[in-house]
Amino acid sequence: MSLTRTFKVLGKEFRLGPRSPVFLWVLFLPVLFTLVLQVTFGSLFDPQPRLGIVDQGSSTITTAVQGMEGIDLTLLDNAEDLKAKVEADDLDAGLVLPAGFDDQVRSGARPPLEFYVGGESLASNRIILAVTTVDLVREIEGATPPVDVAVVALGDEGFPIAVRMVPFIMMYALVVAAVFLPAFSIADEREKGTLNALIVTPVKLSEVITAKGMLGVILALAMTIFTLFLNNALGADPLALFVVLLVGSILCVEIGLIYGTVSKDSTAVFALIKGTAILLIGPTVFYIWPDWPQWIGKLFPTYWVINPIFEVTLNNAGLGDVWVELLIAIGVIALLGVAVVAMTRRLGRQLATAS
Amino acid sequence: MEREEERMTVAAIKVENITFAYGDLEAVRGVSFEVAPGEILGFLGPNGAGKSTTIKILTGQLTPKSGTAQVLGVDVTADDPEMQSQIGVCFEEKNLYDSMSGSENLKFYASLFGIKDVDTVELLRRVGLADRAKDRVAKYSKGMKQRLMMARTLVNTPKVLFLDEPTDGLDPVSSQAIRKLIQQEADRGAAVLLTTHDMNEADELSNRLAFINEGQLYAIDTPEALKLKHGKRSIRVRSRDGAGVREQIVSLEESGAGEVLRSAVGSPDLMTIHTEEATLEAIFIQMTGRGLEG
Repeated sequence: MSLTRTFKVLGKEFRLGPRSPVFLWVLFLPVLFTLVLQVTFGSLFDPQPRLGIVDQGSSTITTAVQGMEGIDLTLLDNAEDLKAKVEADDLDAGLVLPAGFDDQVRSGARPPLEFYVGGESLASNRIILAVTTVDLVREIEGATPPVDVAVVALGDEGFPIAVRMVPFIMMYALVVAAVFLPAFSIADEREKGTLNALIVTPVKLSEVITAKGMLGVILALAMTIFTLFLNNALGADPLALFVVLLVGSILCVEIGLIYGTVSKDSTAVFALIKGTAILLIGPTVFYIWPDWPQWIGKLFPTYWVINPIFEVTLNNAGLGDVWVELLIAIGVIALLGVAVVAMTRRLGRQLATAS
Repeated sequence: MEREEERMTVAAIKVENITFAYGDLEAVRGVSFEVAPGEILGFLGPNGAGKSTTIKILTGQLTPKSGTAQVLGVDVTADDPEMQSQIGVCFEEKNLYDSMSGSENLKFYASLFGIKDVDTVELLRRVGLADRAKDRVAKYSKGMKQRLMMARTLVNTPKVLFLDEPTDGLDPVSSQAIRKLIQQEADRGAAVLLTTHDMNEADELSNRLAFINEGQLYAIDTPEALKLKHGKRSIRVRSRDGAGVREQIVSLEESGAGEVLRSAVGSPDLMTIHTEEATLEAIFIQMTGRGLEG
């Protein structure tokens, strides 16, 4: 097998790809799916409250807001700029902290505090920023709150629905990029006879299939990383993220290569993927509905790649936490690899004997 | 004469007693032949005769059940990229990348042969497509696609060409352009195995013809030799006969034929004289009991 020839076929795949509606659909659909789900359930278009501060001294309020994840803070030099930005709706609210503000509060003086609110800002953001400011001032003052607020969590502890949808979206991206695209590409070339033309050149069928697999892995990695980025779910360990996504992509690509080599045409690929979609995406429903018996998810081969990705991206797990599942996934990859080789040989015989 | 001798000494394609079966169906049965550099061997036979199967064996797509086949001295079962890099295959089906331009198709195929500086303009000019180089193949007519297929076949300047029905279903202009190209390639020194069921094409192009039917070779020889060997040796003489026309068949096998012809040629009533040469199709039917269009 020659890597040079394989890369030449891969280069052709990338050159032809953008001209194919199917290729563009593969790239576009997971992104669209993410956006639709984010709009429906998630937070992509729920911007964080934007607070501007002009700190003329060194107030602890500024330091405290800087440490808060839920507030988008902008520091400005003068009150005029602050007011202009609030008025232009670049900020939801603005705060001017005069020099010595904290000391005056501690001494019991009641210094004036300018708090500007944008006319077009969301009411929820105004409330969040106003209450946060009042709480921080109260902390400086050292006063106890007038009431004790008892916080009672209702429902099961766990991720919100927007987060629980992430494995589904991510698996969807994997299936279209890693399963559908290579499968369709093989079947389409077989249908159009271009595979026959390739295999009477120095290129071997195994090199063509490998190139299509590489295309699937590259696109699957790109699509899943982008999808996870859109969902703010890249996890804390980039190496672990790359490893689990690579293993997941390879496993799914092998399924795609098998689908492609056993399908006589692109219609058969569509039918095959529609018929077996539940086997591929099935485990993701157990993340959406965590009340369901989780052991059922483990019966699906794709569970062994979905769960490591879930753990690494959403539970900030490292490779040490998911190595058992990864080993099982690699075992599945080895088995599927044997099947891919056998199916490729079978395809070669079929191409030669087809009239 | 020297070239003829060279043809006889060095075979670009050498096939010895190969057989192949699709399940129980014997598609190729004990076929043997050779093709020398610069020679065009026409494989003449009806659909299903075993022509395409033979090409698939020679291009390494199928492994013969028995017998041996060599292309450029390499066993075709060796799966040798070096040998593959020196052959060109033109398929009957138009298997081009429709979303690529003609030029892009050629460049891509050239890259598979490790050729970086392919002159696509010249190749496309040779097949009359220079002005359509940047058009997507999807916009090409059937004839244009076939001409591009021929250009693609030549992208690596192959030493051996396998052409499977290269003019099938084409208009006369496209057919003629492709035939001219085939002849140019043979003149360059390429060995050409041309399968066809068009007897005129086979007659026009081939140095030698092989008749194949039901997987068996029935005859292999020059078109002239086949016609002479299997045709009737007779002459048709037409002359005026009062107000009508008299037609006479003169058999050259019979004694006195020369006298009859001399008399006819000297007669003021002579209209036409034609040799009664057998057509290739007639010879094929005579030998195989089956027509070429079957």
